[in-house]
Amino acid sequence: MTGNGSIELNGPIEHVFHKLMDPEVLTECIMGCKSMELVGERKYRADLSVGIAAVKGKYDAYITVEEVQAPHHFKLVVHGEGGPGYVDAEGIIDLTPLDESKTQLTYTYQAEVGGKVAAIGQRMLGGVAKLLIGDFFKKIKKNLERGQQIA
Amino acid sequence: MDCKHIGKPMKRVEDIRLTSGRGTFIDDMNPFPNIHQAAILRSPYPHARIKEIRTEKAERMPGVKAVITGQDIAALTNPFPVGVTAPVKYYSLAVDKVRFVGEPVAVVIAKNRYLAEDALEAIEVVYEQLPAVVDIEKALEPDAPVLHEAVGSNIANHRHFHYGNVDEAFRQADLVVKHTFFYPKYSATPVETYGVIAHYDPSEQQYTIWSNFHGPFTLQSVMAAALRTPSNRLRIMIPKDVGGSYGIKSGVYPYMVLMAVASRIAGVPVKWIEDRQEHLAASSSGTDRVTWIEAAVKRDGTVTGLKMKMVDNVGGYVRAPEPACLYRTHSNTTGPYRIRHLQMETIAVMTNKSPTGLIRGYGGQQLYFPLERLMHMIAQKLGMDPADVIRKNLIRAEEFPYTTPSGGVYDSGDYRKAFDMLLDIVNYDEFRQKQKQARAEGKYLGMGLACIVEPSGSNMGYITIALTPEERAKSLPKSGCAEGATVSIDPMGGITVRISTTPTGQGHETVAAQIVGEVLGVDPRTVKVVAEMDTLTSPWSVASGSYSSRFAAIGSSAVYQAAHKVRQKLLHIAQELLQVPLDQLVLEHGRIAVKDAPGREISLKRLIGSTHWNPDVLPPGMEPGIHETAFYTIPAAMPPDENDQVNGSVTYGFVADAVTVEVDIETGEVKILDYTTVHDAGKLLNPLIVDGQILGGLVHGLGGAMYEELAYDRNGQFLSGSFMDYLCPTAPEIPPITIKHLETPSPLTPLGAKGLGEGNTMSAPAVIANAVEDALSGLGVTIDTLPLSPNRIWTLIQDAKQKMEITA
Repeated sequence: MTGNGSIELNGPIEHVFHKLMDPEVLTECIMGCKSMELVGERKYRADLSVGIAAVKGKYDAYITVEEVQAPHHFKLVVHGEGGPGYVDAEGIIDLTPLDESKTQLTYTYQAEVGGKVAAIGQRMLGGVAKLLIGDFFKKIKKNLERGQQIA
Repeated sequence: MDCKHIGKPMKRVEDIRLTSGRGTFIDDMNPFPNIHQAAILRSPYPHARIKEIRTEKAERMPGVKAVITGQDIAALTNPFPVGVTAPVKYYSLAVDKVRFVGEPVAVVIAKNRYLAEDALEAIEVVYEQLPAVVDIEKALEPDAPVLHEAVGSNIANHRHFHYGNVDEAFRQADLVVKHTFFYPKYSATPVETYGVIAHYDPSEQQYTIWSNFHGPFTLQSVMAAALRTPSNRLRIMIPKDVGGSYGIKSGVYPYMVLMAVASRIAGVPVKWIEDRQEHLAASSSGTDRVTWIEAAVKRDGTVTGLKMKMVDNVGGYVRAPEPACLYRTHSNTTGPYRIRHLQMETIAVMTNKSPTGLIRGYGGQQLYFPLERLMHMIAQKLGMDPADVIRKNLIRAEEFPYTTPSGGVYDSGDYRKAFDMLLDIVNYDEFRQKQKQARAEGKYLGMGLACIVEPSGSNMGYITIALTPEERAKSLPKSGCAEGATVSIDPMGGITVRISTTPTGQGHETVAAQIVGEVLGVDPRTVKVVAEMDTLTSPWSVASGSYSSRFAAIGSSAVYQAAHKVRQKLLHIAQELLQVPLDQLVLEHGRIAVKDAPGREISLKRLIGSTHWNPDVLPPGMEPGIHETAFYTIPAAMPPDENDQVNGSVTYGFVADAVTVEVDIETGEVKILDYTTVHDAGKLLNPLIVDGQILGGLVHGLGGAMYEELAYDRNGQFLSGSFMDYLCPTAPEIPPITIKHLETPSPLTPLGAKGLGEGNTMSAPAVIANAVEDALSGLGVTIDTLPLSPNRIWTLIQDAKQKMEITA
């Protein structure tokens, strides 16, 4: 399963990049993310709780940030395992400044699932992935806008 | 034989309890106190090494009695024996490696299922993923990932067979027609899933297992070997009612061993009821198969020779009774046709899919899909009508008993008569006119034909054809199809029949009562049939069980013979009491009377009573009581000979099908307009049950043709884990069905009956595919795989259109 998209975010590129690297922001913006802790260099352990079709459950996930070229580019590698099966995903994120206060974010991802989640959830998977990713960036956008209002 | 009960449409005695919710199924049972529940952790990976399993957290959870892993199983059991020489180690839990998605990795035994399932989530398994292979042809490539290192390749079994002079037949042919076909993997989805209740008593070192297992009871020895226990310390009991199987439930046996060991480790009786997701992912299924088939054909449509290479995908482990799917139809490979020259190459390959096993039709659907599609293609190539090609090649009535090149002995039949009946019922010639008119109006109608031989009553020796004659010579030969039955009569005259045919819904209780009623001259409704099976007390043998449509041919014959022993005993007592020769006595209406001597008679009740209450009057030397057991086999079930000829089944029926369809070429949707099937299963024992069985088998075959597939992606992930992903036909999908019978009695069985109920499972996929291709004739569409989903048909139509445009 693969996909891509882009979104325009309020904020200068360095600020957006900084936010995307902040585990607290990520915890807040990833749907079903209960907690996230740093376990190594740019490596996090996260508790995710996601329901795909009839398959609801917890995933014990490792998220690694790779290929970092601040503030333009990075890659997220996710491996999650749990009762419903496993998820292997990779996302590549590129940032380009539109002007001093606006940044264009483009992303591509590929994901594979296995176990129960593949056996029962396959039909819904594309839709769920889109939903999860769309929701993530919407929340990032909101977070950035909230930051601006406070400032 | 002039029959009062046999052959009559008696209503099933089982139905009152089943339709009023009073059946006794495995999940209803609590045969031991303090039963604990099991839940199974399964692999999400198709192929991976197990680096570590951490169970401490799960073991500390409330209500958890034990957590069992592959290491426990490897310590307490042996790998299951299997009839191939490839060194494949198959245990009831994965040891060191997992080889398919859904493979059991650990078991939790807890107070209830909720606690057990919760504890599963606390088990941590560290896997190292390995490359997976699911495609048959890819699995045979030299650089394919290898599932079993000790085997060295993915080939579990490989044989070559030559019968007649195939090269000569192909040299003399006017035409060679060949094609490659892919048959998909699918199941039978019984409504009731697997269930096991196991108890280990350390004081007697006795395993007692209740399960909805239905044989073959050759597997009792497989289980005893795995458990390292003497066979009489493994008591297997089957509940009165089993909620359908169609072969699939024979695959419950690894779980019977698993739960037996779990009970031993946990020290409590253990119950496990499989859920639907587990069932679809990891129970059992038919094989997927690739067949390369070639026919040597004469200009007049006569087929003289066949070359076939067939490769069965048996999944992650070759599991007994596999690779039997490759060989169950070995004796009838040439179907109903007088083809004398046959060459075969058979391969069982292991891939990262779930293991396979018995399924209604077992091997027949995989055989007849290519064979009957090829007959259709031959007609096309020659510009002949398919009906003429089939008719030309059918074995003639005077050729029976007919010996096939591979050693099958077809006991009886009149194939041309049955086929002509079919063409007559469907107004074949008229349909061809209607089809032309419809095409002119832009409607795509088609008719498919298929004729098949339906084997029943498996010979225990057929599976040994998987070995070469030299390998076979190293062990004792196997033959026969033995089945037992007991008829007993209590001191008050109550008749009881004990059978070991483990019915899973086929109405054996009813037919056994009909037979005993007939033989003993009593109302069948007064006869009590006990279908519960118990390996410590039932009359059984290796071939016992419910498979290969063996009740009508074998099981019912054992009942008939046991009833006859009782009849003979009663007649001998009457002879003594009435002082007349045996041939002067008639047994009817609950009494034995002297022919042409009104009033000189004695009631059965009195005769039976005397055997219990007054043995003094019995003829000298006769034992008291009435308790007769008969074991029945058919001598035609001989071991394979040194030329690899084998008669794999004892009786062979015939099925001729015609199906009409309409295809919407805009959407690819296939509508089945009607389905006509003519059967010859010898003498019918109960026409009501016969038609019910035929309908069930037909719907299963229709499911395979149109909807069902256990789908995997190319990485080995399983994609059809629920009934939203795995489609089964339901009532609205069933077309009008016409069933007609021809009854050519079998000369081999005492009642002339043959097995039935699997035939259309074998024929429906082929005949429906033939009908669809016929509807699309002229469009350049070739159907060589299933299911015929709108998506597949639409794509075929589009591809054919494009091809035509390019060539134009």
